[in-house]
Amino acid sequence: MSNSITVNGQEQAVDVDSAMPLLWFLRDTLELTGTKYGCGMGLCGACTVHLDGKAVRSCLTPVSAAFGRQVTTIEGLSADGSHPLQIAWVKNNVPQCGYCQAGQIMSAADLLASNPRPSVADINAAMQGNICRCGTYTRVRKAILDAAGKLQGA
Amino acid sequence: MNTLLAGLATVSRRDFLKTSAYSLGGLAIGVSLPLGVLGKLQAGQFEPNAFVHIAQDGATTIYCGRCEMGQGISTALPAAVADELEADWARVKVLQGDADAKYGPQNTGGSRSINLMLEPMRKAGAAGRQMLVTAAARTWGLPVEQCYASLHAVYNRVDERQLAYGELVELASTLPVPDQPTLKQRDEFRYIGQPLPRHDQGEVVVGKRVYGSDVKVPGVKYAAIRHVPVYGGTLKSLDKTAALAMPGVVGVVEIPRFDNPYGSLGGVAVVADNTWIAEQALGTLKIEWAPGKNGSYNTTEYKQQLVRNVEAPARVEFEKGALDETFKQAKLKHAGTYVGSHLSHSPMEPMASLAWVREDRCEIWASTQDPVGIQKTVGAYLGRKPEDITVHVMMAGGAFGRKFQCDYVQEAAALSRAVGAPVQLTWSREEDTRTGYYHSCSAQHIEACLDASGKVSGWLHRAAFPSIGSTFDSSVVQPSAEDLEDVAQHPYGIANLRVESGLAEAHTRIGWFRAVYAIFYGFAINVFTDELAHEAGADTLQFLRDIYDNNHDAEQNEQVQRCRGVLEEAAKMAGWGKTLPPGQGLGLAVHHSFESYVAMVVQAEVRGAEITVHRVDCAVDCGLVLNPDIATAQMEGAVIMGIDLALNTGIDFKDGAVVNSNFHDYPVLRIDQAPAEINVHFIGQDYRSTGLGEPGVPTLAPALVNAIFAASGKRYRSLPIQVSA
Repeated sequence: MSNSITVNGQEQAVDVDSAMPLLWFLRDTLELTGTKYGCGMGLCGACTVHLDGKAVRSCLTPVSAAFGRQVTTIEGLSADGSHPLQIAWVKNNVPQCGYCQAGQIMSAADLLASNPRPSVADINAAMQGNICRCGTYTRVRKAILDAAGKLQGA
Repeated sequence: MNTLLAGLATVSRRDFLKTSAYSLGGLAIGVSLPLGVLGKLQAGQFEPNAFVHIAQDGATTIYCGRCEMGQGISTALPAAVADELEADWARVKVLQGDADAKYGPQNTGGSRSINLMLEPMRKAGAAGRQMLVTAAARTWGLPVEQCYASLHAVYNRVDERQLAYGELVELASTLPVPDQPTLKQRDEFRYIGQPLPRHDQGEVVVGKRVYGSDVKVPGVKYAAIRHVPVYGGTLKSLDKTAALAMPGVVGVVEIPRFDNPYGSLGGVAVVADNTWIAEQALGTLKIEWAPGKNGSYNTTEYKQQLVRNVEAPARVEFEKGALDETFKQAKLKHAGTYVGSHLSHSPMEPMASLAWVREDRCEIWASTQDPVGIQKTVGAYLGRKPEDITVHVMMAGGAFGRKFQCDYVQEAAALSRAVGAPVQLTWSREEDTRTGYYHSCSAQHIEACLDASGKVSGWLHRAAFPSIGSTFDSSVVQPSAEDLEDVAQHPYGIANLRVESGLAEAHTRIGWFRAVYAIFYGFAINVFTDELAHEAGADTLQFLRDIYDNNHDAEQNEQVQRCRGVLEEAAKMAGWGKTLPPGQGLGLAVHHSFESYVAMVVQAEVRGAEITVHRVDCAVDCGLVLNPDIATAQMEGAVIMGIDLALNTGIDFKDGAVVNSNFHDYPVLRIDQAPAEINVHFIGQDYRSTGLGEPGVPTLAPALVNAIFAASGKRYRSLPIQVSA
């Protein structure tokens, strides 16, 4: 295990305190600010990223836990914003302030990866860790169902 | 200063007109901007005013002076400019303007952006269009009447030749700017009324939208802060030895209370190489605080005291008719007392700002609702002129009224000055929750009666809550007449009415929270009305119709008609009176605030201690809707926030300090509690456009409480509801 992390396909050397949460390594060191701070306790989901393809809360994940592994952030979910969820998010005009939406999309991507055709109950269960204070929840549901339909068709 | 507050906190048009001259920097309603404000024209660019910029290749930039926090104003208003300009929206880039008087009032609150700025911004677009058309006419040697603009080009009616906007830039920029350009008729609108997507959704979904907390500048340092937990408290002792020994720590800085309504509460901050080190170092500080005079604030006891203060005679602020006599002759009399909690805005982006204070300049990047407020506050703090403070308005990750106050920006400036570097300060969620500007907790007592004919003939309304005025003037210890005007002017128009103000000294900072006092006025009035209808053996819908129909006050005629309009529409949408499964009920509420009108019907289910909101039908009259999709989103958000404050959230104080800290003990609504269905319908679009960011909030909680009563027979009068199974 080396002290490096692959972030969005690029290997990054880590020369910060290994206890530093991945969130702050992404935001302050790599200046990848698409991943947001919301609570620091894994309660709100704004900091959600993928670690080897699974959604994790980067505010609680020490950077050392990602050594030698693949991290995907919202900036790397697709090369050009063409992930079915990103398309569905735009089509349904989901974001209001948008601050929580990177985390919402990363959680939803994890859900669809394991459950390509989720019910509303599945969505509620999978997404209840992602808070949106603007109240976009009904559109989050719609967009996930929308993207799921697309994934099926693809 | 109180008048300033009233301008934002109250909702009646009369009061709005009265106060806006103070609160908006001298610009009253119907903002009139000199359209040729720039004066200095640059070669090769067409910049007829602050809002419009067209380059020679036709690339068009429209500036938004109002702050964006998710309400969609940076799409809705620029789209209206593009409409009048006959610009092709696909070729328009929207930029957020820095703090600058040329944009008109920028303090973004009170649901006033469209109300204030639609007409001046339409004129800005129309002026540009008129100049481009004139330039084309001159080029062709034709009278202007023979020329017209359409989608980024000017055509002539003689031979249908066209000149693209880019080709006209050079000549157009030499022409005089018309003072009174002709605006489009409604049937000529291209974008107004259309559901255009937000201009920046593409950036948001790839993580490229830059919020106040995301700004980077070379050499930036990061800061974490801990505030004095009690309002008015002070730092007693500080041991910073361990923090200063940590690698990466730049400094530990004491920030004294800045005695300004928007100034820091006072605290201690660590500046470091990154946010993590700053937070870690902050945790090693040994701090003792002296709590000061608010150290015994306890909301459980305080709210009990407020209830006592409204259940006894209080200071009369408004009176008409003969209430005591009316009560004596009443056929039926009813009373109720309603209690609300402090609320925290808790935007997903906590308070965050980057400040760079240098000898010769000060530059700020902030998520804010009031960039001019930042200029004034930071200017006062640094002893510099407001116009010498450059404020870049960043996308705010939610605000809901909290980012009107710029204490966090003044703190970032203090830190930058102390360490001689640009400093990005991000508050932790705990600081955001514990040291905010809270929505007032409140108690209200209503007594009303029906006369022999069954009409509501008398109404007594007493309210006690710590007023926003107290944040500006510590001698304010109860609601003012202005604070209560919305009760006095409520469109029920009861002939015998008395409104009283109860004592409620503030022990924390009180601020504007989305919908402000309308939250608890709307709650008390609508729940009480439902109770009164029940006491009278009437259906609430019919009871409300009768109240409005009996209001013959000519001054309230329009309000009554529009309240009646949304009431009927919401009832129709929801199928009021329909048969529901067992355990379910419908509840209704109507409220007029921020010059707009909202009625909601909530369909809720009660199962033991569990309350489920299945469906919400909203009818809205806010006049002409600029963007129906964004407007719908505002209502959906208001419904979610309304359910949240009805069922989940309240800020509690003990020994002067906030007890809550993060989303586990301030449990804002999550997706599993969101209704399956929210339906929104807009009526009244022939009226002038009015506010929408806030008016959706006040109706949800009372409609829900009324639905719970219909479903279960249980009546809740305190928020958040403490369910007893």
